[in-house]
Amino acid sequence: MATFKKSGGLRELLESMYSVIALLFILVACVELCDAAAAVDVYRLIQYDMSGSPFGSRFAALNHHAASLRFPPGADLSRTVLIIPLREMNMTFVREYITQKKPLGGLLFLLPEVLSFKHGGNKQVYEKEKMKKLLAELEQLLVHSNIPYPVYFAFENDDIDTVLTEIKKNDAMGQPATATTGGYKLVIPTAEPKKVASPTITNIQGWLSGLKADGDANQLPTIAIVASYDTFGAAPALSVGSDSNGSGIVALLEIARLFSLLYSNPKTRGRYNLLFGLTSGGPYNYNGTQKWLRSFDQRLCESIDYAICLNSIGSWDNELWIHVSKPPENAYIKQIFEGFSNVAEELDLKVGLKHKKINISNPRVAWEHEQFSRLRVTAATLSGLSVAPELFEGTGSLFDGRQYVNESAISRGVKLVAESLAKHIYGHQGKGVQIFADESSLAANPAYIRSWLDLFSQTPRVAPFLSKNDPFVMALKKELADHVDEVNVQHENLEGIFTFYDSTSARLNIYQVASVTFDLLLLLVLGSYLIVLFCFLVITTRGVDDLISLFRRPPSRKVKTA
Amino acid sequence: MTMFHFFNCAILTFGPHAVYYSATPLSEYDTLGTSVKAAVVYLGTALVKLVCLATFLQVSENDGFDPYQELLKALIGFIDVAGLYFALTQLTHRNISQNHKFQAVGLGWAFADSVLHRLAPLWVGARGLEFTWDYILQGLEANANLVLSISLAALASLIWLRKNKPKTLIPIIYACAGIVATMPSITSYLRRGLGWYFPKVVGFELFTSLVMAFISWQLFSACQRPSA
Repeated sequence: MATFKKSGGLRELLESMYSVIALLFILVACVELCDAAAAVDVYRLIQYDMSGSPFGSRFAALNHHAASLRFPPGADLSRTVLIIPLREMNMTFVREYITQKKPLGGLLFLLPEVLSFKHGGNKQVYEKEKMKKLLAELEQLLVHSNIPYPVYFAFENDDIDTVLTEIKKNDAMGQPATATTGGYKLVIPTAEPKKVASPTITNIQGWLSGLKADGDANQLPTIAIVASYDTFGAAPALSVGSDSNGSGIVALLEIARLFSLLYSNPKTRGRYNLLFGLTSGGPYNYNGTQKWLRSFDQRLCESIDYAICLNSIGSWDNELWIHVSKPPENAYIKQIFEGFSNVAEELDLKVGLKHKKINISNPRVAWEHEQFSRLRVTAATLSGLSVAPELFEGTGSLFDGRQYVNESAISRGVKLVAESLAKHIYGHQGKGVQIFADESSLAANPAYIRSWLDLFSQTPRVAPFLSKNDPFVMALKKELADHVDEVNVQHENLEGIFTFYDSTSARLNIYQVASVTFDLLLLLVLGSYLIVLFCFLVITTRGVDDLISLFRRPPSRKVKTA
Repeated sequence: MTMFHFFNCAILTFGPHAVYYSATPLSEYDTLGTSVKAAVVYLGTALVKLVCLATFLQVSENDGFDPYQELLKALIGFIDVAGLYFALTQLTHRNISQNHKFQAVGLGWAFADSVLHRLAPLWVGARGLEFTWDYILQGLEANANLVLSISLAALASLIWLRKNKPKTLIPIIYACAGIVATMPSITSYLRRGLGWYFPKVVGFELFTSLVMAFISWQLFSACQRPSA
């Protein structure tokens, strides 16, 4: 009976021990808690394949020592990460390294904190033009090169500044950080970047019906107002594109709101349908617009009088450009341009006309209206840019943040487009008639523009990284639904020649490490300390003879073996 | 090479205990049992102290030096002394001379202290990539602690186990024992009240431990003369 009880008790004891043992295992497995000198958010350079050719930074994980630009000449940098702040950027040096494919462990660019949309806020940007030019050059170089090591962007803060000054000091002493000389180690523990499976582009269209007179069987003519909302930049997690093309979409939403006010009353509803298009896939030769247009049926296509595309209307001073692909002598183009110029005169701003012929064999589509023109629909793009951008140029780059756009520029752009549309729709020819006058109930609302612009400036919108039901896209759809009669969402796959890879942002840990020689030295010191302690204790407690006897072989054994 | 650093700090923290055991006659007389018993008594003492601290102490928001709290901590620290008394007098030891008894008890006491207070931070912290001097300083502190524990055990054995002591030396013995027993309070006052940095505190600990060891050695040998 006693043994029975005893064994039961023992089993209970063992079971309670299991939980303790499990806890012990967890504690034992508890590896590196975050004890780094600094931990920073970093954003990776984009990685993509275009028609099979690789571009961008091909790796994400990083585990190398850090060095600054003042490294001793001739040092081997294949296992070092160069930290380059923007103000010390040496463009020729970076270009040389990248184009000549010199081996490097990694690159970390430090951007001024004012460019960050999380912390920068609305602080003033000094030397705007110089920084813009430098960033544009850097981005174009990085986006079109194949770089076989990780490239990251980070924002300067106090931690990383102190680390960088320390690194510069070490480098100046001629000791680049390696495994044997200590220094700082940059570690980004991410997995290998994987392909984004079937990236989707989502087009949103809104339809505002015009007033159909009784007994009128014909389809009303339509005017389309289109803008693309997605971006592409060197750092996709930072690519907010406030001007390209946040300004265009904000203007489109405001125009939709104004016209919905007009159209809500049957007495002021025009005899034109309005079609609002928020397209995606802009940077990729306006792929989304092309797919959207292909989905139209023939009747709708024929009923479109003309289309106005909005692109980058947030940072102009006093001149806007209308870009067309049909020759300026074309009657429709003339009509559109005259309408715009008349209104522009009244609003005290200039509008210029630029003609760029379409080359059907060239896949490059520089302006959104070209997609319309290819289907023989009259279209024009209103933009603050005077020259057509190159592929992946100016579609949401690093400097294109909130500080770069001007709300009043967007307001004036809205007024220009709205008044010109109204002139066409309602057909009033007299000068000095302003429907959307300031202080009226139909004035462009600066608060509305500002709040939407702020939202756009905080949302990176690179299309492959926007999921099918991304909350931002749904928010745009909901906003458009508030203003128009009917909203449709179209999901398409991005053109097959582009493949994107994920892992756009990560957390960088900067550790201050001691070199291997230090550890070995410490081992030597400790070993000698313990030996000295041992000898001291033996001498004081047992006497010197005992110490010597430890080392002398006992003579008896020798006799035995012999 | 971070396991390397962990190994270095571990041999600095726990090596001297092993060296002390093997170098002195303790190993010849096989006093390991005594040391183990002393370690277990230390564990019990630590648990009792924890309970008392949790019951009576208030957690202060700022890291300053609060005299009342420190006084309370010092009083609770005397539970340490009670534990040492228990280990020296109440436990049954094999027939080992008093000389070796206090050394074995002190050694076991210091080893348990090091393991309980320093093993966990060492395991979790020293294996990381980031290098700090903290763990090396902690190891030096463990060394100082070893010397202090052995001197405290020596003085305690003088107080409780030796019956015939020269009258003049008794107050000195009690005074030294008091100083050594209140060492934790003194170091925490230095760290929080005066704001000394860790290396300075460790240096102070090492210095005082050597001084106290010398003094207690002199006292012990002075008390040993009449009987010898």
